[in-house]
Amino acid sequence: MIGQILLLSGLLLFSILAVLAKDLIKSAISLALASLILGIIFFLMGAPYAGVFEISVVAGLITVLFMLTIALTKAGGDVRESKISTLVFPVFFILVGLIDIFVMKGLLPKLQILQSGAETGTFAEVLWKQRTFDLVGQLAVILAGVFAVLALFRKKDNHD
Amino acid sequence: MIENWFLILGFSAALLAVGLYALLTMRNVIKLFIGFEVISKGVSLALVGTGFARSHVLLAQSLVITFIVVEVSIVATALALIINIVRKTNSLDVRKLTKLRG
Repeated sequence: MIGQILLLSGLLLFSILAVLAKDLIKSAISLALASLILGIIFFLMGAPYAGVFEISVVAGLITVLFMLTIALTKAGGDVRESKISTLVFPVFFILVGLIDIFVMKGLLPKLQILQSGAETGTFAEVLWKQRTFDLVGQLAVILAGVFAVLALFRKKDNHD
Repeated sequence: MIENWFLILGFSAALLAVGLYALLTMRNVIKLFIGFEVISKGVSLALVGTGFARSHVLLAQSLVITFIVVEVSIVATALALIINIVRKTNSLDVRKLTKLRG
């Protein structure tokens, strides 16, 4: 229990660092560390496949994409964030936390839990047989992403 | 198990708050996407945590994997868009995007 709280606190801390750090590279690295901790939490919860995806894709691929974008957009220069926004952060965080606690206390016990049978089979059976339509959706999303990136980086036509 | 679930939901709500703060206050376009990433971390934590508490981890895992694929696609497209924006406006500031030119 204490280990879990420590890991969750680490995840929150690195996420806050990612948002509040002034240097963009430090932000991207903090985000990768947060993903790494989230992957470890997934492993501990008995979700190894989600953990592997989280660490390899989110902590690896997305961080590389962020680094690449930061390197390519250096010409953009620094953007000054307003000083008030940093001061507002603790107030905003506590306010959202209080609202969350009240809503969860009031609403969650009233929610009816849907009865369902115990989960059987392996992960492969659940993914390939029960969630087949999700896989079709994934393919469509990947194709959409590829076409979008191709369209955004296409060379300008001389006739235009 | 249920206490763990409340704890995980609390932390995912906190992550959501952090991401929402970034989306509402930041001016740097890349920072906005870091905020979006933080929100997506909160959502996937809530999904796996709920699956863990209700003994449906396998289903939660497959949903999280779908979510991660969608997330990567969104981030790749958005970062390509950001590079194009910087090439046009020479700045990462979102306020510069308000100046529309016909």
